[in-house]
Amino acid sequence: MVNLTIDDKQVTAPKTATIYDAAKLNGIKIPILCHDKKLKPFGACRMCLVEVEQMKGRQIPACTTPVTEGMIIRTSTPDIVKARKMVLELLLLNHPLDCPVCDKSGDCDLQNLTYEYKVNSNRFKDEKFNHEIDYNNPLIERDMNRCVLCGKCARICDEIVSFGALTFIDRGIETKIGCEFDDALNCEFCGSCISVCPVGSLLARPFKHKARFWALTKHTSVCGFCGTGCNLTLGVKDNKVLTTIYDENQGFHKGQLCVRGRFGYQFINSTKRLTTPLVKKNNRLVEASWDEALEIVAARLKGGSDVAALATPRLTNEELALFKKLLLDNVGTKNFDHAAGYAHAALTEGFARSFGASASSATIPDIQKCDFLLVIKTDAYETHPVVGFEINMAVKNNGVKLSILSDKKGKLSKLPDAVTLVHRPGSEVAVLNAIAKTILDEKLADGSAASLSGYAELEQALAAFDADTVAAQSGLAAADIKKLAAEYAAAGKALILFPSGQPYTGHTAELASAVANLAILTGKYGKEGCGVLCLSEKNNSQGAVDMGFFAQDGGMNGLEILEACTNGGVKTLFIAGENPLTSYPDRTKVKAALEAVEFLVVSELFLTETAAMADVVLPVCSFAEKEGTFTSTDRRVQFFKPAIRKGAQTKTDFDVFSSLIKRLGGQAPASPAAQFAEIAAGTAGYQGLSHVSLRNDGAFAAVAMTPALVVPKAAAPIVAEQGKLALVVGSALYHSGTLSQYGEGPMHVCPEGYIEVSRSDAAAGKIAENDLVTVSSATGSVQLKAKVSLRIPAGVAFAPYHFSEAPVNTIWAGQPVTMVTVSK
Amino acid sequence: MNPITPIINGMAITLKHMFLKPVTLQYPTERPKVAARFRGLHALNVSHDKAKCVACYLCPTVCPAKCITVEAGEDANHDKFATVYEIDMLRCIFCGYCVEACPVDAVRMTGEFELANYKRQDFIYSKERLLEKK
Repeated sequence: MVNLTIDDKQVTAPKTATIYDAAKLNGIKIPILCHDKKLKPFGACRMCLVEVEQMKGRQIPACTTPVTEGMIIRTSTPDIVKARKMVLELLLLNHPLDCPVCDKSGDCDLQNLTYEYKVNSNRFKDEKFNHEIDYNNPLIERDMNRCVLCGKCARICDEIVSFGALTFIDRGIETKIGCEFDDALNCEFCGSCISVCPVGSLLARPFKHKARFWALTKHTSVCGFCGTGCNLTLGVKDNKVLTTIYDENQGFHKGQLCVRGRFGYQFINSTKRLTTPLVKKNNRLVEASWDEALEIVAARLKGGSDVAALATPRLTNEELALFKKLLLDNVGTKNFDHAAGYAHAALTEGFARSFGASASSATIPDIQKCDFLLVIKTDAYETHPVVGFEINMAVKNNGVKLSILSDKKGKLSKLPDAVTLVHRPGSEVAVLNAIAKTILDEKLADGSAASLSGYAELEQALAAFDADTVAAQSGLAAADIKKLAAEYAAAGKALILFPSGQPYTGHTAELASAVANLAILTGKYGKEGCGVLCLSEKNNSQGAVDMGFFAQDGGMNGLEILEACTNGGVKTLFIAGENPLTSYPDRTKVKAALEAVEFLVVSELFLTETAAMADVVLPVCSFAEKEGTFTSTDRRVQFFKPAIRKGAQTKTDFDVFSSLIKRLGGQAPASPAAQFAEIAAGTAGYQGLSHVSLRNDGAFAAVAMTPALVVPKAAAPIVAEQGKLALVVGSALYHSGTLSQYGEGPMHVCPEGYIEVSRSDAAAGKIAENDLVTVSSATGSVQLKAKVSLRIPAGVAFAPYHFSEAPVNTIWAGQPVTMVTVSK
Repeated sequence: MNPITPIINGMAITLKHMFLKPVTLQYPTERPKVAARFRGLHALNVSHDKAKCVACYLCPTVCPAKCITVEAGEDANHDKFATVYEIDMLRCIFCGYCVEACPVDAVRMTGEFELANYKRQDFIYSKERLLEKK
């Protein structure tokens, strides 16, 4: 710590702080335009000028000057105020005074400072800029006439998002922020640039002109898309969520959001939302009262053993626990599951046997603390973009070494010094086993590993995974596998990340154990910056696992339930929020099952294609209309409150389940808080947590580990077939599950399904970008738009699974790799 | 005092007024002349055949009676304009703050004071009704 004096006040600050940080830390406000907590100091705006006595009273920028012992600083002498006034006058010289029509008005740093410093006239005269305004994309409007050249947008796009879409172009008075070749903006549309813009140069088009900043009520919440657990501030007016608001102090991610978090909120107030219960009469869904609908459902649930349920991991912990209670105690069935029954297997089977806990042994903040990072599948960026930002920052700022093991290249491969080993699809487990074998052979294992259970069996089983053999099978070089093993073992702190979820059928318990073996063999777990992080797909996937909402003690899992629907074993199916018709593999089978089941009840936000098949549809609430907790992928439990009132004829899932319990003669907890108290008492790691203690900040639920080495079974290598491509299914950056289809933002930039093929395959099939191609597999065929990309290796194709129109599950029956033909 | 005197005084005043010009206005056959600064019904100023209003939301913000509803939209040239501009005359207190707040001189108050109507709905003045009459 360093001692210094700011404005006659004795203060202390960390050695690495700048004068600006030190002042802020001690409650002294220095005006600034070009600074953001997350970005490196830049010193562009000259608003933060201060006087330092030791520097002969010269005016120096506070944001770029580090503090030194005994510094005496003055932040607002008449001279400084005069200088700042001139800075503002010079900025306002070219800045158009169009506050009445500028959407930033009210939240504008330049406007606030102009007001604060009473700059109401200008000594200088100059012409305003006349740059063309970029309206070319549906999400981000760029008006460079208003720009003050603080460079924050260009810096956040480079330092954090690592896309580099924006930069300074031209020189001198002509300088402006532009895209490559001064063209239109075409990036991944995360909107980070909008969030940091101090003026109205960058605006969110979906929110443009909707409301003034001061008319919004701000509600903090937790994002309802992926498992990262980002915090959101929702801007609400007239009971409508109109926008997300940036707050640099929010969450581990410091307010940083991805395209879905920032622009995908429109589903909350969508006009397509269900507003009243629907009951099937004469083969048509007609409006009904809640009493009528619940009475029908309760009567069917009394059946007991032939009842099954599927829930979405987007429900809160409280709702999942209550649903489980309804099914186990009041209905009397063990047949319930979430995420198709296999998407959580990495946690519930893989980690459960390898670590003795169904949770990841590392947290997202560990990414910044490790020395070596191994990412399985570049898709980790697409499934969890904000985790991707953390990886970008770790690699660029902390010099973390990044290695990627993937079946295709991706954005992460472009990071400095990132090594991407592109293997044949489906050979991940074999490669990981080969790495484990190299670690054992080269005596790189930690001393303690040999004493763990399963060591001898593993050593024996790994004999088949010689680096050379695996290299030949997977299309890698043996030397690369050995090098990766050596680097991983040699790193002081190493972390492994892999995404899981419904499209990643290859990321099973076997992969989780293979990954866990590496960490256990080298002793890289249970320490800061070490471990294995399974990126679970949905916002409460980890919570659903923690609540035990999956097939246990002889209950049927997700796919078995659907099978039983077809063959009559299950007569009543309760689907809470899932959309299996689009998101589960093998559409024909799912459709047959949903048609065959005698009674189908769906609780949903929208009339999805699954809900359209139901006998009773119950309209329920989105995350913005209820309270509860979500558990993020790294087991951070976060509480959120409703941001808006729910519709008159909608209920929360919690209310639906508790009224069903009451109708079945049981007793339900009075509120989500009471339910959470039960959860906290009975769930490992949740002890001591309550809604009250989580009110301000989330808390990590502890993970107790008892490691064991398990032999992971590798799938047989995929045999390449002449004229066929190996299709891998996955997530697109702009979407999460099927819910994001109802968000306007994601649909503006990625409105439909596509198939990504390599350049050579495209040339061979004479396929051009945006051509409509027919993709056929053994299961069926579908028409998709073609995307020709450099990142896909020859012989491989990639398709995202989110879309109800042209659904990929007509050709994908759940195998990690599907052989398909692509023709025009 | 003589009890008759005040009565005579009163009668004198009454008599005097019989010869003065009456102050009562025979409304509605006679119309009052309102002052230039009278604050009556609002009007939206027009320039180049368009309402001058840019939907900056300052008038609904400043309005103490919360009687102004504005919704903004974007026209073909990406210019901001008011798709909805409504004033609820039942709530309006005719303070004139909206006129004061307007940065583009788009709203003014006219001398129009006859605002009576038969239905509540008719007191909500839409943009069409508020646009200045040519």
